[in-house]
Amino acid sequence: MDLMSLAIAATPAFIASAVEFVEATTIVLAVGITRGWRAPLAGTALAVLTLAVIVAALGVALVTVVPEHLLLGIVGTLLLLFGLRWLRKAILRFAGIVAVHDEEEIYRREVAELRAQGLSRAKFDWVGLVVAYKATLLEGIEVAFIVIAFGAKGVAAMNAAIVGAVAAGVIVVALAAVLRSPLTAVPENWMKFGVGAMLSSFGIFWFGEGIGAKWPGDALSIPIILATFLVASWLSVRLLVSLVPQGARLEARHV
Amino acid sequence: MSSVLRGIWDNAYGLLVDDGQLAVGAIAALIVTWFVAQSGALRENAGWLLLILVLALVVANLYRAGRNARRQVA
Repeated sequence: MDLMSLAIAATPAFIASAVEFVEATTIVLAVGITRGWRAPLAGTALAVLTLAVIVAALGVALVTVVPEHLLLGIVGTLLLLFGLRWLRKAILRFAGIVAVHDEEEIYRREVAELRAQGLSRAKFDWVGLVVAYKATLLEGIEVAFIVIAFGAKGVAAMNAAIVGAVAAGVIVVALAAVLRSPLTAVPENWMKFGVGAMLSSFGIFWFGEGIGAKWPGDALSIPIILATFLVASWLSVRLLVSLVPQGARLEARHV
Repeated sequence: MSSVLRGIWDNAYGLLVDDGQLAVGAIAALIVTWFVAQSGALRENAGWLLLILVLALVVANLYRAGRNARRQVA
């Protein structure tokens, strides 16, 4: 597998995983700072183990059992659905129609809830373990999904996607450990917007390949598809801003 | 057991679907593209057809979302 194919697997896995790790780290940090570190670290380790089993089981099954054309069709479909979900939400956030994800606010709320539950120093903190396990697992399932989707093209691609996701995890955790506060400076909506457009582009490219479509220049078509998505998304933001100019003051969440 | 299965289903659904109409529309676009490719007429260009369908779907869906938001403000 050439360097470009490996970069194709590693880059989206890195960016998407970074977004998810930031969200999981906020919760784990809140648990650790309010209730001590033993239980949340154990919960996080358990969740990482669960995710490793999911990636190993589903990833290996997909790569070895499912025929290539069918695999491209399935992965393309899932990537498109997943990517459109992120892209839509990011566009609505840029237009001010949906509230921007606020790590600081989530952290404060989580700390208040955890403090309200009380803590017995004599017993093991099961609440801390469960909260950290759940947060890491829920955010991590999205990481696992992306790793499996981008790694489905073979062992080398799977390794590249895993390296991308692990690198993101190491960087985010290291930053959180140094700062000991939620990573509010991360441009989360921009990252979700970029990854949403990327995943949707790959979804269309791979589904097309799966049904026998020909792409001019093969993988070189991906940047063209991506650029088309970005232009359409930008136009959509402009359209929404003109449609709802007071969008930033809007509290509508279910549109 | 049923609550565990329900939780797994909710998570899997939530992973892929934020707006039901967009998800259904995307699946419809995939099915249309697949049929067109099978018929042989546009097989080689089926990927571009899918791109056009999905972009139209996204813009239409966001336009609807914008109109709903405007109605809520008014």
